[in-house]
Parts: sequence; structure tokens; C-alpha cells
Amino acid sequence: MAQVVLKDVVKNYGPVYAVNRVSLTVEDGEFVALVGPSGCGKTTTLNLVAGLISMSGGAVTIGDRDVTNLDPKDRDIAMVFQNYALYPQKSVYKNLAFPLQMRKLPKEEIDKKVRDAAKTLDITHLLERKPRELSGGQQQRVALGRALVREPRVFLMDEPLSNLDAKLRVQMRSEIKRFHQDLGATIIYVTHDQLEAVTMSDKMAVMNGGFLQQYDSPANVFANPINMFVASFVGSPAMSLVPLTAVSKGTQVVLTSPEGWEMPLSDANGRKALSATSNKVVLGGRHSTIKVHKVQVPGAVPGKVYTVEPTGDVTFAQVFVSGATVNVSVPPGFALRPDEPVFLEFDQDRMHLFDGETEMALRL
Amino acid sequence: MSSITEYRSGGMGWRWAGRIFLVFLLGFTIMPMAWMLITSLKTGFAAMQYPPQWWPTEPTLDNYWRLLDPSGSVGQDFLRYFWNSMWVSVVTTVLAVAVAVPAAYAFSRFRFPGRTFLFFAVLLRNMFPAVVFLVPLFILMRVLGLVNTHGSLILTYLTFGLPLAIWLLKGFYDNIPIQLEQAARIDGATRFQAFFLIVMPLSTPGIIATSIYSFIGAWNEYIYAYTFLTRHDQMTLPVGIQRFFSENATDWPGLMAATFLMSIPVVVLFLVLQRYFVRALTEGAVKH
Amino acid sequence: MSTGQAIFRDVPDPPAPKRPSLGSRLVKSRTDYLYVAPAILVMLVVIAYPIYYTIELSFFNTPASLALSEKQFNGLDNYVTILTSSIFWKVTWQTIIWTVVSTLFAFLLGLGAALALHREFAGRALLRGLLLIPWVVSAVAASYVWKWLYHSDFGAIGALMVQLGVTDQPINFLDNTTTSLYSLIVVNVWKEFSFAMIMLMAGLQTVPDTLLRAAQVDGASPWQRFWHVTWPHLSSVSTVTVLLLVVQNFNSFIIPFIMTGGGPVGSTQIWITHIYELAFLRQRWGVGAAYAVLLFIIMMTLGYFYVRALTRGDDQRAGA
Repeated sequence: MAQVVLKDVVKNYGPVYAVNRVSLTVEDGEFVALVGPSGCGKTTTLNLVAGLISMSGGAVTIGDRDVTNLDPKDRDIAMVFQNYALYPQKSVYKNLAFPLQMRKLPKEEIDKKVRDAAKTLDITHLLERKPRELSGGQQQRVALGRALVREPRVFLMDEPLSNLDAKLRVQMRSEIKRFHQDLGATIIYVTHDQLEAVTMSDKMAVMNGGFLQQYDSPANVFANPINMFVASFVGSPAMSLVPLTAVSKGTQVVLTSPEGWEMPLSDANGRKALSATSNKVVLGGRHSTIKVHKVQVPGAVPGKVYTVEPTGDVTFAQVFVSGATVNVSVPPGFALRPDEPVFLEFDQDRMHLFDGETEMALRL
Repeated sequence: MSSITEYRSGGMGWRWAGRIFLVFLLGFTIMPMAWMLITSLKTGFAAMQYPPQWWPTEPTLDNYWRLLDPSGSVGQDFLRYFWNSMWVSVVTTVLAVAVAVPAAYAFSRFRFPGRTFLFFAVLLRNMFPAVVFLVPLFILMRVLGLVNTHGSLILTYLTFGLPLAIWLLKGFYDNIPIQLEQAARIDGATRFQAFFLIVMPLSTPGIIATSIYSFIGAWNEYIYAYTFLTRHDQMTLPVGIQRFFSENATDWPGLMAATFLMSIPVVVLFLVLQRYFVRALTEGAVKH
Repeated sequence: MSTGQAIFRDVPDPPAPKRPSLGSRLVKSRTDYLYVAPAILVMLVVIAYPIYYTIELSFFNTPASLALSEKQFNGLDNYVTILTSSIFWKVTWQTIIWTVVSTLFAFLLGLGAALALHREFAGRALLRGLLLIPWVVSAVAASYVWKWLYHSDFGAIGALMVQLGVTDQPINFLDNTTTSLYSLIVVNVWKEFSFAMIMLMAGLQTVPDTLLRAAQVDGASPWQRFWHVTWPHLSSVSTVTVLLLVVQNFNSFIIPFIMTGGGPVGSTQIWITHIYELAFLRQRWGVGAAYAVLLFIIMMTLGYFYVRALTRGDDQRAGA
């Protein structure tokens, strides 16, 4: 296993930049998730690491080797594809054996390795089948097996779970995580599902528009999103964002809404709000940090219930506040009706403030 | 009587209209072939009657025996033509596939300078009639020393079989997920190995379709064979049959037997393998 | 909602990597060319050279012996000869009738057959196979069979028409300037309608069943379903089919050549048979070549539309 370093990696098609100066380091044995909406450049980035497309600029290092100009076959990597890309005409056994044959290993060694890998993944009984005779989950295992059999330095995974049904996905999620722990493998994992990234990875790299937005542990990304995009992308339900205006009133800073209400900020938050490039400030809050009241309390802001979604142990609701939608959660016993007026109290210590112009998080 | 595919056509009225139309079309299609077969079973005398015998009063296979008898001169000629046609068609087909497969793959996958232009050039080959190429090609074959050889035909047939072959196969390659090759390349294959070991075996139906098309094209070609070959021991069937007709202008039963025998290989080949051809068209040619 | 790109708004894009020069791109894709080289080589020899040669010949007066060393440049004379000859317009008119009528009927029969064959029923594959036989058999064989069917004394069609009481005497289909061209068109349509059929059948497979079902639920009549759902999906394959039929018909040679040789009195002469006659029977190489050049121009125009219809959407597919 090895460390992977991307330095100022660029891929452009004419004026369109699919990947724009992405730099990140994946430590040996680390599980890194590349996550973002479709078209954000995450798969392109993975393909650049794999060498399947040529780079327009920058460099990729795997271990101590600069692989920027190497063919995929010489990079000593393995890849699992979204559609599994199992060779349809070959049996499972031959699919697993193919990477070893390409490296001209002796026949007995190939056989041993194939059987070992099959055993690890519990697919020994499938070895003689053709891919089309397998279920989605089985195909997924074979694809993992084909990656694992060669003991590569890095595993690349391109949305490997997105073709599975919801139940199987949860199961395979833990299996891949287990696979990572047992092997101590370096894994770069592409997904559009932030939940997968949060639950599986050591670090997540959030991408958008070809840029790397934030690269940190899931906990840090969740707690301290660097900008509004990351804030709204990570977490479910998404962080709610309410555009407001910051105004100084004596010693205190308040956020005012065009609807006429005001929300006083704590000292720390007040200083953050004043550091914005203009008076436009966006208030961000996750559902778990917002209290819902049926009557006005100090510091709470007025809103109107839009939808109510009971899920059993918690009830989610969407509330219109100053033209924006705010996700909140209440205990199941707390009765809410659509169109009911409510008052939301944001936790001053756990709220987020963003610069309305630059969309960056405001920090002290 | 409702069918699961009812929404494809109309109600009963339209369905009956469709059936009647198909019966009419089948009659139109079959009638000439049936008459060919019936005539071939007649004696020369029986064929030349008015009104015609709709079914021969004394059916005979003599016309076939004559064509297939290697000891008679007619049979000798016919069997030689048959063999020539077979040889030319098989060699053309093998070469066409060998040339078309890599080209189709490259047009499907690679983006090299001039790709579009070359692809257009290949497709446009279909637009030109054989006749306008006759003189220059005849001179070319003279220069290459290929006049009166089967080489001249094979080289020529190769070019008119190639465009459709490349086009059909390209359709196949377009539909093979690129991830398969990417996987192979990551697994340690070179680009060529990924193509040769992984992609090519998957295009077998396309290769079969291409082969049928090349074979039929070569088997039926007339104009070049008529121009390039003057020695009659080199002639292929279409030219041979024309020669037969010009020498025995009134032997219609013999001629019909010869056209029947000539049609057998292509019709059988096509009927047995038509599903590949249809599939190639569906998968390759008509996707959007 | 926010784009997240905003934070990088002030950062200029990295200097666009220079578009690699043609030379370096050629070098970079040199192995790609190995795949197409054999095909291109064959085509160059057998296509590019003849085209060049034909164009050259069309500006010269070449002796009947085809002794190239004695050819004389005569500018546009060959073209003038063609455009001022009375037969040119007659042959062109006949070529248009031949092409348009053949294409129209082949397409309509093919479309009808494709629609009728689109539903599942027992024996469908066999029926499709039988209908395709004319397309598969050699045009030479087909020409002789039809020549026999049309035979003036013992032809089955003439006799059948008399027996059915349509005519008193067997019609002399081929030796008759009013019927000869249309008699050949029937043969041509017989030979090629199933090509249109198979193309359109393939096209019909691309019509989503869900759309047809939805239209049925919405109360569309069968005709409305055809017109609003099926036909729009067939338009591009229809374009390709019609173009190919036009080209094929314009370039027809074997049927008129074998069946009538262009006669009687030139009534079945079309461009290609005319070119053949000029070049090979009357050794007027220059005029024949000039005809061929005019034909190139017509074909290239059609070819432009053909290629455009064929390659629509081609470049959207990925390829690294």
C-alpha cells in the first residue's frame, strides 16, 4: 500500500475545466471519499489517478513514483467500476485470473490467489458462473475480488454501490469498510452520496465545479463546513440557509429579515457577522440545533410550517422563514400542522454564519 | 384476443389490414421465385408453351443434373464458376473482417486528427457506382498485373464491403461499455490487448453480420467480374450465368435451374444467420 | 442555492494549456492510425486514384484505344457535349422517374411490412426471412427470372393477365417504350423493398413501448399513435433509408443492363447505363468521364446529408 499525492491536477476540454488545480494527499492506508454532485469532477479526478485519461496539467505520485505519464497498467492500481465492468464472456474465475495472467504469473500461483480472494469474499461457489448469472451484490463482490486479487498499491472505486438496492447498499457499505480495515488498503472512493462518504471514509474531499472545496475528516467537514456549498451538501437533511442582513444596534449585532423581524446575535457571532465583506450574511443551522416553539420566546424568529414528515422516532418539518426553507426536527409527540405559525430558536453556539457575497464561512 | 403488444398496432381493423398486406407482399415476393423453381423442373419444350403449364406435367430434375455433372461441359463450367465464386467470396469476407474490425474500433474509441474526415470518406464509398470506377480500376489492375485474376475482384470487393462493415461494427463497439477496456487496462493490459482480448470477442455477432454482408456482396457482384475477367475458367457465377444465357438463349429451364443453384448459398446463409444481421442493425445502426 | 464556486471567483483559471500542435497530436495518436491504416490504404488505392483519374480524363479527348499518351486536352468540351445533347435530358428525366418511383414504392412497402411485422406472432421470423430473400439474391439472377416472367410469348405474368381477363393479348412488357421503364421499376422495388423493411424494423425497436402505452391510455387512436409517437422516432432512420435508396437507385446498373440493355429505343436508359454505353460500347472515354464527374457532384451532395444523418450524435460519446 502506498501514499497518493495529487498536485495541482488539471483536466480541461478546451475552455471547460473538469478538474481545476486539485491538490490532495491520501496517506498510506487511508480511506478517502471524493464526493460531490454529478459533474463536479470527482470521477474525472479518479480517472486521472488511474491514468485512463491524460492530464492537462499537474502531477500524480503513487508511493515514491511519479506516475503522471504512466499507462494504467504500470501504475499498480486496481479499480472497481460503477457498472462493475466484469468481462461478460469470462467466468468469475477467469475474471479474477485476468489481472494475474496479464502479469504473467505462473498458473499455480494464479489459481492459489484466485481461490484465496474468492474465499475472502465468499464467492467460491460462484467461480464457474458467468457474470450475467449473478445478482447485483454477487457481481459487486466479484468486482472487489478482481481488484483485491493482485494486491495493488491503491484501490480506486467509482460509485461501486450506486447500482445496488438500498438494503444491499447498506450491507456492502460495511463490507467495504471491513475490507479496508482488514487489508489496511489505501482507497480512493468516488460517490455522489454524502452519507456514504461520511460513514465510510477517514477523510472526505468535497468537490464542486471542478474545484476541491474542502478536504478533512467527515466530523470536521460536518462541524465546520468551509462554505455554503459544503454546508448544504453534507448532512441529511441538509443544513438550512437563510439570507439576512447584519445591522449594529448599539453594542449588539442583530440579523434582520425583510419580513421585519430581528434576531440578536451573541458577541462572538456578532463579531463574525461584522467581518463579512458586506452586510449580507447567511444564517445556517442544522435541524438538531434549532428548537421549535409554538409561542414567541426571546431570540426566536417567526416561521410557517410547510410540510410535516413523521419518520417514527423523530418528525421532520420544513418551515418557511424569511423566504427560505428551514429543516427542523421535533419529537413525535409534538403536533405540527401545515400552515401553522411557529417560532424557531437557533442555538447561538452551534449556528453557522456565511458571508453573503463570497459564500465562505465566517470565522474569528 | 388481446395481445400484450396491442398498443404497438391498432385494433382488429388495423391488424387485419396488416395481415392482408403481408399476404399480398409475400405473394409478390415469392411468385418470381416459385416460377423460377417451377420452370427449372420443366423440359425446354414444356417451358415454351402458351398458355404456360402452371405446374409441369412431367417434372424433371434433368436441368440440375446437367449443371452438376462434372463430366459434361455445361456441368464442368458451372461447377468451376461456383467454385470461383465461393473462393472469391470467402477470401473477401475474411479480409474484410480483418480490416474492418480494427478500423471500426478506432473510429468508435479514438479521437485522432482526421478521424471525422476519414470516417466520412469511408462512408462515402457507398455513394459511388461501380460503373464510374471501371475504367480507372481496369487500368490500375493492369498496372498491378491483376487482370484476369481473382485478386482484382477481391481487392475491389473489399472496398465496397468495408464501409457498411465498419459502420455496423462501429455501432457494436459504441455499445460496449468503455469501462470494460478501462478495467482491462488497469488489470495490466495494453490498449491493444484490451481491444483484442476483451472487446473483440464481445463483438462476435457484429462480426458474423459483417461476414454475411461481405459474402453476399461478393457472391452477387457482377460488373467488375464482367470487366476484369475475360478468361472463362476464372469467371464467377453472375458472369458465368450471363455467358450461359448468351450461348443458350432459349434454354430458360436450364437458366432458371442455374439461378436457383446460385441463390442457394446466400439464401441459406442469410436465413440461418439473419438474426445476427437484424441485431447488428438494431444495435449498431439505429441507436440514438 | 449556492454554487460553491463563488469562493474561487477571484482566482484566475490556470493559463489554458496550449492546444497541442497538429504535429504533436499526430505523433501522440500514431498508434491509433495503425488500426485504420489497412482500411484507409485499400480505400485510397481503389477510390482516391480512380476519382483523380476520372476527373483528369473528363478534360481530355482520349482515343478509342485508351492510349493515354495520345490524349488531348479539350477543356470543358466534354461537359458542353453532354449538356447540349438531347439525349442527356431524356436520360436524366428517365433517371429521375426511375429513382423517385422506385424509392417511393420501396419505402412505402418496406414501412408497411415493418409495421405489420412489428407485433409478435408465430412464424414472424420466417416471414421476415422470406420477405428478405429478394434483397439477398443476386441482381443478375433476379433480372433473368423477371425477364422470363415478362417474356413476350411465354411469360407467366402476361399469360396470367389474359387468364384473369385483364387483357386480351399478353402484354409485351419489355419491348414497348410505354411499359418498359415501369416494368423494370417493379423488379427494382421487388429487389429492394425489404432493405427498407429491415432498416425500419430496426428503427421501430427504438420506439419506447411506454410512450405507446401512455398514448393508448390517453385515448389516442392507432393512427394518432403512429403519427405522434412512432413516426417521430422513425424520422432519422427513415432519412438514412431514403437516402440510401436514392443513391442505390441512382446508381442502378444490373437490372436495366441485363433485362433491356437500355432499350427499346433508349426508353430504359438511365445515367449509369448511359455512361457505360458511352465509355465501353462507344469508347467515348472523355464524355463518359465527364458524366461520371457530374455524378460525383450529385452523389457528394446526397452524401453530405447521408453522413450527417448517420453520424448525428456520434461525437457525444466519450473517448479518451
